[in-house]
Amino acid sequence: MELHLKIKSAINAFKKFSLSGKLGLILILLILLMAIFAPWLSPHPHQRSSGSALIPPDSEHILGTDDLGIDLWAQITNGARISLLVGFGTALLAAVGGGIMGIVAAYKGGLIDKILMRLIDIMMVMPDLPVMILLAAFFGPSLFNIILVLAIFSWIRPARIVRSQVLMLKEQSYIKSAESYGAKSWYLIRKHFLPEVSPLLAVSIIRLSSRAIVAEAGLSFLGLGDPTSRSWGLIIHHALNFQGIYYTSFWRWWLLYPWLALTILTVSLAFIGRDLERIVDPRLGN
Amino acid sequence: MSHHKEYLLKVDDLSIVYTGEDDKVKAVDQLSLGLKEGESLGIIGESGSGKSSLALAIMGLIKDGEVQGKITYQEEDILAASAKRLKEIRWQKIALVFQNSLEVLNPVLTIGEQIKEPLRRNAQYSAQELEERVIELLELVGLNPDWRDSYPHNLSGGMRQRVLLAMALSCEPELLIIDEPTTGLDPVTKDEILQLLKKLQQRMDFSMIMISHDIGSIKELTSRVMTMYCGQVVEVGLTDKVLRDPFHPYTRGLLNSSPNLFKYKDLWGIEGEAKPGEGCAFSSRCCQSGANCFGARPPLEYVAVERRVACHKGGIEEFLEARNIKKTYQLKDKEITAVKEVSLKIKSGEVVALVGKSGSGKSTLAHSIAGVLDVDEGEVYYRGEQVTDNWATKMIGGMQIIFQDPSSSTSSRMKLLDVVKEPLEIIKWEDREQRKAKAIDCLKKVQLPTTEAFLNRYCHALSGGQRQRVAIARALVTEPKLLIADEITSMLDPSTQANLLRKLKGLQNQEGFSMLYITHDLHLARKIADKVCVMNEGEIVERGVSFEILENPKHIYTQKLLTKAFKGLI
Repeated sequence: MELHLKIKSAINAFKKFSLSGKLGLILILLILLMAIFAPWLSPHPHQRSSGSALIPPDSEHILGTDDLGIDLWAQITNGARISLLVGFGTALLAAVGGGIMGIVAAYKGGLIDKILMRLIDIMMVMPDLPVMILLAAFFGPSLFNIILVLAIFSWIRPARIVRSQVLMLKEQSYIKSAESYGAKSWYLIRKHFLPEVSPLLAVSIIRLSSRAIVAEAGLSFLGLGDPTSRSWGLIIHHALNFQGIYYTSFWRWWLLYPWLALTILTVSLAFIGRDLERIVDPRLGN
Repeated sequence: MSHHKEYLLKVDDLSIVYTGEDDKVKAVDQLSLGLKEGESLGIIGESGSGKSSLALAIMGLIKDGEVQGKITYQEEDILAASAKRLKEIRWQKIALVFQNSLEVLNPVLTIGEQIKEPLRRNAQYSAQELEERVIELLELVGLNPDWRDSYPHNLSGGMRQRVLLAMALSCEPELLIIDEPTTGLDPVTKDEILQLLKKLQQRMDFSMIMISHDIGSIKELTSRVMTMYCGQVVEVGLTDKVLRDPFHPYTRGLLNSSPNLFKYKDLWGIEGEAKPGEGCAFSSRCCQSGANCFGARPPLEYVAVERRVACHKGGIEEFLEARNIKKTYQLKDKEITAVKEVSLKIKSGEVVALVGKSGSGKSTLAHSIAGVLDVDEGEVYYRGEQVTDNWATKMIGGMQIIFQDPSSSTSSRMKLLDVVKEPLEIIKWEDREQRKAKAIDCLKKVQLPTTEAFLNRYCHALSGGQRQRVAIARALVTEPKLLIADEITSMLDPSTQANLLRKLKGLQNQEGFSMLYITHDLHLARKIADKVCVMNEGEIVERGVSFEILENPKHIYTQKLLTKAFKGLI
């Protein structure tokens, strides 16, 4: 019965999305499944050579192979794991961290708020790509460092949104009542502020993850990614490093398919993000 | 009028015990009082509180009871006086106007004869003089002398009262004791009798003790008043002040049951029966009795100028005191002082209405008192202790505030049950089951359904009135002793409003619950408020007992407010 109700509410939630949103959801679901079942989806290994180099797509290697003879389909399915991990990991870290900072700044006010707002101002005017490159180079290429660096440049938006929301919320009399019953800050954050701002954070997470995935691809493209975990960006980086790729036909599979995967993922996220925003805040309308 | 320092009448430690077949009844219990010459003393109390026994004892008329103590009249001990001397004192010095009824007068004698009787007994008059004196007396009490040949059953109640008065005044007494002069009389006659008594007292200059249930008569005729309960004095003070601001819960109970003090207010009797025991006799019915009230009898002690109260807690407790509250809002280019040094007191079991138009600073004051708003200056004391860090609002049996706007006072995102039990969750009261049970209990009080489906509804799915009631239930869940209610009924339909207010009034009378009721609905304020504070531009411009403020406002702003509010009366 419980499960039945949950499925029903999930279907109802799905129905609220527009056509593009529905498409986005389905595509994201497929990419997720692809990432989860990566080892079973491709017959070939993604780190070792499994045929001749640079074979165009055929029945054996459905998306062809790269210059080392590694199967591209295997690389893309496994790369989805990295891209999604970086995307959602960064987004989650940035949204939760930024969200909590926003709540604390708004609720506590005073000096904390002032310091945080100035910090946000500084982060906003800082050119993010050069600094990211610097930081990534400084910390060294590892997946965790990439997530951290991306998160450092992503928490500003959620922090600002949450702060303004909490500034409004804390004037509500139910918060004042709770305070008068002796509620501590942690209780208010846990019971009132977080649940209240979580829909906004959800939208942020979707937006940020799409941004993080592209940024990760960018960093990888610049050679700052983790060479051991081959993300989609890194595949593109390798392909482009192949001298004279545009003079050959190799780009038709080696470059096209990772690019296509990346584009489908970010476009789907954009669709979902747009719909979620509308659903969370009915005033925006459609 | 001569002003003697000594008392005309002095009663010390008087006890009267009637011995029945099975048990002894203590009608008067260690009572002391003093009456100066020219003074008029009112005695109030419920039936059976010993008022009439006291009057009879002063007259030396207690026959079948055991009398202890001392009654001194002009330095003469009445209890020790001989029967002959007593007869002289009666009528000539002290006269009693009996409680009006047919039995008091002899049915077979004309009233003329009956008035002649005390005259004949106390002085030597010729028949002619007697007749003249009777006519004179009847004229004095405003009765046509032609009635002197009638029999008592020919007379109306008001006329008989006049006859009794004529008899009592026949020997020009120095002290007149009047027992229930207006009981059973119609309003017009009652007023005539009261005016007559007033006129007679001025003309004949007698001292007076008036026993009455009728607070209106007491207010009209006496300068001091004494409240009796179970044969004991519980409060003594100047009539004007006692009626305006009673210090003993019993006196207040009597006043709240009196319809003629303030005609618009609701009537509330005192709950329970009199059960005199070891400790304070009133403790079993008192709304503020605590553990120490049952131990010993409280002494009658001075609590203010000319005011003595017998209460272990020194009279009605003071729940809230706000001192010099000041709050200024900073706007961009100007400063707005919303509350200017306002002080406020609320006693236990009192409903104080804070009225005024919107923007007068009512809500700011309420929020400052409840501690949800930081004040610029001033302190708040709850039960004598300064409120810091919200201690008074985060406890069971403390202070609670209910906000005006229901859509903001409950979170749309939360389930109804979670909203109502939130205070209990925060103060970590008992366990889950008990919290839920208590929440359901409070929801019943505000007349909301308590089915599982309803409890799990989200607040955004409720109507404004329902949400308001949820907010009220949440405030009641901590069993507050003091409720600060900011326009709580403005969102309710009249029927729910009436039911809720009656519930709160019930709590007030049973448990000493008190309320600061902020409203701009003066009709409601008139119905439920004991005291009224009128606020205008951040200041309390007029404050006092509701019957005075709402009937007879002094301040020009209050007058304006009232004329506007009551203009549309149907």
